[in-house]
Amino acid sequence: MKSNNFRDILTIIKFTMRDILSRKSFRVSTAIIVVLIILGFNIPNILSSFDESEFKDTILISDQQEVFEGQLDLINQADLDTEFQIEPLDLNTITERINNDDINAAIIVNKNADNNIQLTYLTKNLATVSNFPNRILDALSAIYTDVKIEHLNLTPDQVASISPNFELALEQTESQVVGGNIFAMMILSCVLFFAIYFCAYQVSSSITIEKTSKIIETLVTSTSPRNIVLGKTIGIGLVGLLQITLFAIVAIISAYSFLDSELIDMLFNLSSLTPYLAIMTILYFILGYFAYALLYALTGSTVSKPEDIQSANMPVAIVTMIGFYLAYFTLTNPTGELNLIAAILPISSPFCMPLRIMMGIANGWEVALSILILIAFCAIVAHIAIKIYSNAILNYGTKASLKEIIKNYRQHS
Amino acid sequence: MSGLVLKDVSKNFASKKAVDRISLTIDHPSVYGLLGTNGAGKSTTIRMILGIITKDSGSITWNDQPVDRKNVNFGYLPEERGVYPKVKIIDQLLYFAALKGMEKSAALESIYDWAKQLKVEEYLEMPAEKLSKGNQQKIQFMTAVIHNPDLIVLDEPFSGLDPVNTDILKNLIVKLVRDGKFIIMSAHQMSTIEEFCNDILILNRGKTVLQGNLKEIKSTYPASRVIIGTTADIKKYLKDFTIENQTDSQYIIKIKSEASAHKLLDTLVKDNIIIDKFEIMKPTLNDIFIEKVGA
Repeated sequence: MKSNNFRDILTIIKFTMRDILSRKSFRVSTAIIVVLIILGFNIPNILSSFDESEFKDTILISDQQEVFEGQLDLINQADLDTEFQIEPLDLNTITERINNDDINAAIIVNKNADNNIQLTYLTKNLATVSNFPNRILDALSAIYTDVKIEHLNLTPDQVASISPNFELALEQTESQVVGGNIFAMMILSCVLFFAIYFCAYQVSSSITIEKTSKIIETLVTSTSPRNIVLGKTIGIGLVGLLQITLFAIVAIISAYSFLDSELIDMLFNLSSLTPYLAIMTILYFILGYFAYALLYALTGSTVSKPEDIQSANMPVAIVTMIGFYLAYFTLTNPTGELNLIAAILPISSPFCMPLRIMMGIANGWEVALSILILIAFCAIVAHIAIKIYSNAILNYGTKASLKEIIKNYRQHS
Repeated sequence: MSGLVLKDVSKNFASKKAVDRISLTIDHPSVYGLLGTNGAGKSTTIRMILGIITKDSGSITWNDQPVDRKNVNFGYLPEERGVYPKVKIIDQLLYFAALKGMEKSAALESIYDWAKQLKVEEYLEMPAEKLSKGNQQKIQFMTAVIHNPDLIVLDEPFSGLDPVNTDILKNLIVKLVRDGKFIIMSAHQMSTIEEFCNDILILNRGKTVLQGNLKEIKSTYPASRVIIGTTADIKKYLKDFTIENQTDSQYIIKIKSEASAHKLLDTLVKDNIIIDKFEIMKPTLNDIFIEKVGA
């Protein structure tokens, strides 16, 4: 019955996976997330099932002096999400209708002594209105211009010549072309962050629970601390990967079942989802997860009570946040140096590099360097975590201080 | 030399000497008793033997090889009892058996065999949290023995067990020794140690205060008590002795020498006192322990 590291790691992986998968809390939370994903993709359908007219504002326009020469009805043809009632009412009647909530607001048209057109926007209170609504103003201007042009008896060519005929274009000064869909990139970044963060966090609680239940002493006499740390980390990571795969499949099926194809193209832009990107994203998830999971294994081994886990994990949680935000905020300038640094730094590269690859701006050497640094980081953290874990596992009672953690490391070196 | 040998083993925690130059040898299948007050260094010694914590100095060998997980097939019942609360008993036993290198079929056979002997068969399909503490302890004992280890370390195996389960466990330990196992056992109950152990080591604040064969140790101590079974009032004969305990049918007195006990017996017989029992007793392990480590 000689010890066999590979066999032991495999045994621990299987036991860890089975343990998590059989937990009621895991099954319930997974089911809840699946339901939320399905509901999320149904939001457009749910919203469209309501009668849109119920949510439209009603605005009355009173033009007693016929400034718009009876053409105001045209405003309802503009796509302003508002129902306009055109009635030449006096101020008292309008005020009464606003106060009775028959209408949301009113626009009163008057021509003053200087022959200027005065537009008064009247509403119950001005708490939510600071300016005359621009879109309505533009629509009224266009109607008024059309009325006046009609009086000039211009030919169609003359009308065409005074109408703007813009051709719009977007150009950039940099030679590097940034592709991809910003919405899809933000989703990918958040998914990677949450997947890595929550899976890695579980490693810490799993180790602490073994200390709380005192099973750890039996465990360390059955196999080496290295096998325990690696087996647990891989086991929890595989469950996380399975869970994310399930969520991704549910999301894709839901998208194709409930969304129309235009919206799917807008959200996912599947043309940017290449096999290379998919492989790299999974690789960065695995390496990123390992880096953080091993850090959490380290903190988990320094406490023996579940209530101490959160405070022990705080430093790693802060590092995770810094890594994520460094990647997230530098995305606004993806060709900048800061984003490149974020893509190379091991604490942020898992959240950043897949997005650079998706945008088509990651060079081969950048990706290779980033992966090498991340692997080296994982190896160093694993080395330290296993050594500290080996000595700290029998520390029952209070949370180990930083001084004690360093001492534990030195003792085992 | 075959068996387990500890030579001048020491361990310090910060400035505190937890274990100070301990040596012991177990060269044949038997139960070796490790005694000491709380914090005397028993668990630290056991953890060093098993390689859970590293020793600062000295050597620990099994069949002349340094002791580690790879070259010793050992079983361990820790003082800190622990099970996975949500996991089915059979699954956790299979898990530990697999880590010890057992094939599943052999593990299952061994698990059912031990479960039968420990009378826990009905709990195998239940999660550990549903079991009483005593039954959880029996499950942990199974974890220590299902893989047929050569060296078994039992840290306080009887604490928390009721008399019926204590008896079951005692019989199994005797059987293990008969099967050629080397067992190290720490316990607080001196009667248990006296019952099982051929050799003992008493620790006090990390230092060895007494060590050797239990019978030989006891033989070096003079008789200290006499039990006299009689219903007669013999108080007037006991003026020169200290009465430790008295009931309607028995007196337990302390003696300074065996000669004084013989003289007392002569006097009682001469005066026609009816005596059912007259036993000159050697000191118990408890007496020796208290003398060595202080009350």
